[in-house]
Parts: sequence; structure tokens; C-alpha cells
Amino acid sequence: MNFAARRTTELGLLVLGTMFVVGAYLLATLPDDSPIPTAVGPLLAVTVGLPLIMHLAVRRLAPQADGMLLPLAALLNGLGYVFIVRLDEAKASPSGLAGLQSLWMILGAGAFIATLIVVRDARRLERYRYTAGFVGLVLLLMPLLPVVGRTINGSRIWVSFGPINFQPGEFAKLALALFFAGYLVEKRELLAINRAFGPIALPDPKHLGPVLIAWGVALVVMVMERDLGSSLLFFTLFLVMIWVATERASYLLVGILLFAGGAYLAFNAFSHVQERMELWGGFWDLVGPVAQRPTQLDLAAFSMADGGTAGQGLGLGSPTSIPVVESDFIYAAITEELGLLGAAAVLVAFLLMIGAGLRIAQQAATAFERLFATGLTTLLGFQAFIIMAGVVRLLPLTGVTLPFISYGGSSLLANYVLLALLLRISDDTATRANERIAAHQMTEVVG
Amino acid sequence: MSKQIRNLGVFLACCYAALFLQVNRLTIFQADELQDDPRNNRQVVRDFSRPRGTIETADGVVVAESVDSQDQFKFQRTYPTGDLFAHVTGFFAFQLGSTGVEREYNSELAGRGLGFDLQELDDLFVDRERVGNVTLSLRNDVQQIARDQLGQREGSVVAVDPRNGEIIALWSLPSYDPNLLATHDFPAAEAASEALNADPEEPTRSRAYREREFPGSTFKVVTATAGVERGGVTEDSPDYPVQSEYQAAGIGTPIGNFGGGSCGGTLFVILQNSCNTAFAQMGVEQAQAPGMTATAEAYGFNQEVPIDLPDPVRSRWPTEVVTDNPPFLAQASIGQNEVQSTPLQMALVAAAVANDGKVMRPHVMREILDDQGDVVERYEPSTWTTPMSEETSRLLREAMVSVVTDGTAQRLDDEVEGDVVVGGKTGTAQIGSDPPRSHAWIIGFAGPEGEVPHVAVAVLVEGQEGASEQTGGRVAAPIASAVLAAALAPPAAPAGG
Repeated sequence: MNFAARRTTELGLLVLGTMFVVGAYLLATLPDDSPIPTAVGPLLAVTVGLPLIMHLAVRRLAPQADGMLLPLAALLNGLGYVFIVRLDEAKASPSGLAGLQSLWMILGAGAFIATLIVVRDARRLERYRYTAGFVGLVLLLMPLLPVVGRTINGSRIWVSFGPINFQPGEFAKLALALFFAGYLVEKRELLAINRAFGPIALPDPKHLGPVLIAWGVALVVMVMERDLGSSLLFFTLFLVMIWVATERASYLLVGILLFAGGAYLAFNAFSHVQERMELWGGFWDLVGPVAQRPTQLDLAAFSMADGGTAGQGLGLGSPTSIPVVESDFIYAAITEELGLLGAAAVLVAFLLMIGAGLRIAQQAATAFERLFATGLTTLLGFQAFIIMAGVVRLLPLTGVTLPFISYGGSSLLANYVLLALLLRISDDTATRANERIAAHQMTEVVG
Repeated sequence: MSKQIRNLGVFLACCYAALFLQVNRLTIFQADELQDDPRNNRQVVRDFSRPRGTIETADGVVVAESVDSQDQFKFQRTYPTGDLFAHVTGFFAFQLGSTGVEREYNSELAGRGLGFDLQELDDLFVDRERVGNVTLSLRNDVQQIARDQLGQREGSVVAVDPRNGEIIALWSLPSYDPNLLATHDFPAAEAASEALNADPEEPTRSRAYREREFPGSTFKVVTATAGVERGGVTEDSPDYPVQSEYQAAGIGTPIGNFGGGSCGGTLFVILQNSCNTAFAQMGVEQAQAPGMTATAEAYGFNQEVPIDLPDPVRSRWPTEVVTDNPPFLAQASIGQNEVQSTPLQMALVAAAVANDGKVMRPHVMREILDDQGDVVERYEPSTWTTPMSEETSRLLREAMVSVVTDGTAQRLDDEVEGDVVVGGKTGTAQIGSDPPRSHAWIIGFAGPEGEVPHVAVAVLVEGQEGASEQTGGRVAAPIASAVLAAALAPPAAPAGG
């Protein structure tokens, strides 16, 4: 089988994606009086140059990997960048976020290539599962440390060393996905044993330990760091992975019951959880009560209502009326200016990435790789879902970034690492398939 | 594992499908509802960041325009004439909303009017932002004379063209400077707004159409109309007895004349002398309560004036008080008791007499032009109410002219030159006796002989010292006279324009 053709596909898709991004950039800046957009050099560098460099790196380092993921990521990342530039320019005092984001994009591409270089064989990561588990926990709980931990916008999810702030939680997710994959592959036979409790079969209580630990950690994150989004994402990741590993739906049942219990407790005990629920008020209402001052969510709903089918047009809406629109609420800005069509296109792009990720998982040769790829895809797919669902009021708003699109360095870096890992697994699978075919042919010749 | 991975894919696809449905609700199905949410100011923000049409007077003076601003809104609304047209243009402010013409014709000024939609297809291909420019029926020169004449006295001046309802001048003091509220320095705008709102004189409220006062003797024109239309009063009969007091049946203070004098006579004479006892008697005995009520309401009392400015105040005729209560009816018939009128309404009373008995819908917008100068909307004159027949109006016109030639309003034609017929009626509404203070009123009309008068006017000067039947004629008539003369003169060439 010739998987190398995948690179041609990738290049073709990349060209299409970049054309779209550059076009979007021109449109976004056209309404201004200047005939030639001012910052077209840096734009071309980050939206055309970077994907091309990453493409060349993949050609060299993972030549047989999936060809869909990188173009989709580059498209979403480029779209996000255009919006960050556009939103920043609309502000009375531009905060230079666009410049920072382009810097993060360069670092992200670096992290992407470095991951491909360092991880030459995904299977070898299995060895580091416990190290990863430890590192993941440390990263997750790091913001709680006294000196380095920082609370920004009410969430204690930041760590700062000197001038650099980052969210270790973004990397913790990757480490934990690795840990779960390795651990579950090791223990899945044991964990898969069900015991009948009357008519329903449930996991043996003595194997529920890991579930309870994961649940406990999720609660700690939610309560101590006030990070509902990460907590939800983390617990979802664990549940999905244990379910896929053991093939026992009973874990989902137990997990959902635990989640419901935890959520109920948290709702009653902690005001910030209550606040979030009250701000949401159910998916049926698109805005809060008229008598109250409009919240960030209400402003986002007003913004998206202006979108209509095809949107106000890039650069023509006024999404800056939503506070901190460039991170959590960037999806509202996209919906306002690109309309239902643009919003749906973003959804489709994420769905395609999920599809590609799950296909990689499905085809992977070893249980570890399958599980790891599933975990990584779950992280990407659910994180995007959780924040978009929050913005459109399908779920209570829990602040996480929209992968590849939102402004945010830690998130971008972590997601490029995630992407590289998926590509690495995909490349391994293809390489091994080719080797098998070759070996098979060899046997035939010899025989 | 593969079954689980497939199911996971299906589950995620369902999640995203739910997202898609929710986005549909937001952008399509419930978008209108969200856009109508009172807290949604996005339309305002959009209008704020677009060019906006000018507002010009009939004689070509720009009274509101948008100029380039170096801030996030791109355009700053300015009002070059300051307080002069504040009550007409209103203001267009970000946090404080908008009022006046800025509010009434917001869509047109922003280029979203009905007439523009037909041209929208063009706009897809041509990069041009359409706006509508509003031309007012008001004249800058007349408005300025109104302001100069009223001077520092609180009160109102309303001039209207009886033939089509066009408002020519609408001035009241105190006024305010809309620039202070329209500024993009929001804290300053907020402070200015608070200061204006805290002012007990309420400078932002136009006294000309949003405040009512006792109309005093100017209301006798209404009583006369009721008497002629519904009480059989003619030029010659009845001949009201010369007396100093009139006591209607029932318990109540008798009606006296100003200064305790005695008067009486036929319609023209009692109107010229503004005879309280005779008009009280006419209201009670000839017109009677139902007739008075019908005529007052036919003039527009107890109704919302259909003017194209926000929140007009209804003038009041106290139907429920005067019914079956002759002493109160007697008071109401001379503009006392609970009768209250806006200056605008009293101008419309004069206009009805002038315009063959018909009150035209008053309006301040004459036409709206697009940026190419093509008319996209023109105000079509229409009749609002008809309080009297043409015949009655002819009689009353003559009666009011005789008030100027031989009665209390002799100063009304002082400023008017040429072959012009001037009619009027003064009024003095006493509001305090120690020291005596009163509101000085005059209503009137003027125009070339043999034609329907071209202008009707109402002037109210509030809180004047003294209280005699002469007060209205002495204080208000010179103002009205200057305004009538200015309105009859052809428009002055706009300064610098």
C-alpha cells in the first residue's frame, strides 16, 4: 500500500486551507481605508510558511501519516489567527494579542516538529506511563502551589515563572491520556471482570479504585482551581478510556452516577458552581431574564443572532462587545461574522479531525496505540465541544479554550503536541502495515 | 475496542449535531427575538458606527450632522446650532439613547428606511453607504426670532402652517445643548444627563408640546366654536348681558371679570374684550357640557397629537368634571378649572380657525432625501380632526381679526407689514395672587388677504408678574407678532450656505 500519496493530499489540502485563510485576512482588513493590509508579511509567514514547514517536517519524519489532520489544524489555527488580528484591531487600544499569538503559533509549530523528532515510535511511550501519570498529576495540581500558582479571571489554573504565565493543565491532559492508555492496557483484563448485582452487572468494587481516584482528582480541580471545564474534560477522558479499554458499558454507568453525585454536591456546596448553573439556566433559553443586566453569555447570544445565515461579514460585525471574546468566546465572533455557514464549517472541521483521529485509533496495531489515539481524539473533540456548547448555551459555560482557534499559548502548544502524537501513531501503523505486507511477500517468495 | 471507538464517534457526532441545532436557533430561528431584546444595543452600536444623514431646516441650515471622529465609532454626531433645535432634533447618544427627530426618523437617517430597500440590490455591487437626509419644515430664521423674542423668559413659541400642518418654529425655554449628551466621552455625557435630569425646570422636555398649562382666555375660541357649532350662537345673538358676575345654576363661586369690571354683548364684542361672564354663560347655556366636550375633543383635546416627535402630551378637557356641574363648566369655558393645553394644541386651535375648520396633522419632517438628492419620502399633509364647519371658521376668523383691530390683541400686527390679515386671541392664566403672577398667552394667525392664512402661532410666556386681561396682549403679543412677520417673509438665505 502506498501511504506516501497521503503527503500529496496533505499539501493540496494545505494550499486550499491557506488560500481560505489569506482570503479571510484580506476581507477582514478590507473595510479599513488602507488598500493594502498593513501586516501582510507576518500573516503570510504564520499562515502559509508555518503549515508548509510542518508539512515538510511530516514528509521527512512521518511520511506515511494521515494527511487530513494537519491541513484541518492549520485551517482552524489560521482562521483563529485572522479573528484574533481582527478583534485586536477593533479595540480602542490594541493589546498586541495578534503578535503574541503569531509567536505562539511559531512555538506550536516548533513543538509539533520537536514531538515528531523526539517520539520516533509511539509504542515506546508505553514505558513512561507511570512517569506520565506522575507528571500529569503534578501539572494538574501545580496551580495550587503557593508561590507559582496564579488566579486569573477567578480560576486558579495558571502558573507563572517570572514573566511567563502558562496553564499546566493543558499539558497535564496529554500526560494523563498517556498514563491512562498505558495503565488501562496493563489492567484491562482485570478491570473487565464484572460482578452481577442482581440483574445488573457492575465492575468488581475492588477495581473501582482508579475510577474513584480519577473522580476525586476531578473534584479537586473543580473545587480548588475553580476550573469546571478542565474537570469535566478530565473526567470524560478517563471514563471514555476505561470504557473503550474494558469494553464494559457498566463503567460509563458508574461514572455517570459518580459525576451526577459530584455535580450535585458541588452545586450545593460551592457558590461558583451555582453561579455557573444560574447563568446558564437550561439550554432552551438563549438569554437570561430581561430584568437582569446582560451577561457575557447574553452578549454572545446577541452577537450570534446578528450572524444570520451568512454572517455580517469578516470585520463588519461588532463582536468586541463580548468581554474577552478572543479566548473563550471566539466561536461567537466567528458565528457573528461568518454566520450559520461559518459556524457549521468550524463544526465540520472539528468533526473531520475527530473522524481522522478515531480512524487512526481504529487502525492502530497495538492496544496501547489504539487507546492512546482514542484518548487524544477524545481530548480534542470534547474540549472543542465543551467550550462551543458553553458559548451557545447548550451546556453551562465552563472556560476552556477552543482548540487551535482561541488565543492562548499553552493550549496551542499542547494541541500541536497532540496533533504530532496522532500523526506519529498513524505513521507507525502505516509503516508496520507496509512491513507486514513486505514480509508476507518475502515469505511467499521464499516459500 | 473497535465497537466502542465507533460508538464514541457516533456519540461525538451527536454532540456536534446538537451544537449545530443550537447555532441554528441562535442565528436563524430565534434571531429576531434576540435582536428585539431590550438589552441588545447592537443595532445602536451599528448605527453609531455608520454614516448618518443630516438634519436640515427648511431654509438650509444644518442642525445635526455626523462628522468623522477618531475613535471606535468613526462618527460623532454634532448639533451646530446648539440648543436652538434641541427639542426638535433631540439627540443621538450611545448610552442615553435618542429622542426627537433622531429617534422618530432613526431608520431613515441610518439608511434603513422603506424607500431604501428597493435599492439594496445595487448596494451589493456598489460600495456606498446610504443615508437619508431629513429636511425639517422648521425655518432657522423664524426659530431664531422666536428665541430672541422670548429672550430669557420661560415659555414656548409654536408656529405652524395651517394649510398643511408643517411646524415652522418650535421653541421653548429652557432648552439644552444636545452636543453635551451626544459626546463619545461617556462619563461626561452621563454627568451632563444627570445634571439635566436633576434640573427642576427639566430643560430636556420641550414645553412646546410636552407640557400643559391653563390656557386662560385663549380657550374662549374653543368655547366660541362650540357656541356657534352646537349652541346656535351667531354674530348677532345672543347679546350677552353686561354684568360683572355670572352664577351658573348650582353651588360655586360666581365667575367674575378681570379687575371686577362689567362686560357683555355679541360674539365679536365679547371676544374683543375677552368677557369672562359672557363666555361662561355661553359655555353653560348655549354650548352646554356635551357640546363643549365634543368641540374640545374635535380640536384634539384628550387625544394624542399625531406629531412626528416622541411622547407628545395630551391636552386636557375635564369631561367628567364639567358634566352635570354647571359652575365647573362655567370655569372650564373660560379656560380655567382643569382645562390644560400644550402650546402646540393652542396653535392648532388657531390653525383650525384659519384653515377652514380643519386641523392638519402637525409634523416637523418635510421630506427625506438620499445622498444623491432624490426624494425618498415626503410628508403628505392630511387632516387630523375637523372641529367646525367652513362657515363657522369664517365667522370666527372675522371675530379673531376684530380682536386684533379693536380688542386685546392689538399689538399682534405691530410687526406685520403689507396687505396681511391678522387674527388672534390673548389669554392670561392667573397662577398666583400674592404677588399676582400669570401665564401670558396669545394665539393667532396671519396671511395675505383672501387666502387661507399661511401661519398660525401660539406663544406662552410663563410666570409673568401681574394678572390682568392686558397681560397676554402686553407680553405675548409682540413675540407672536415678530414670529408671524418672520414666517410670512420669504426665508432668509442661510448664513454661509
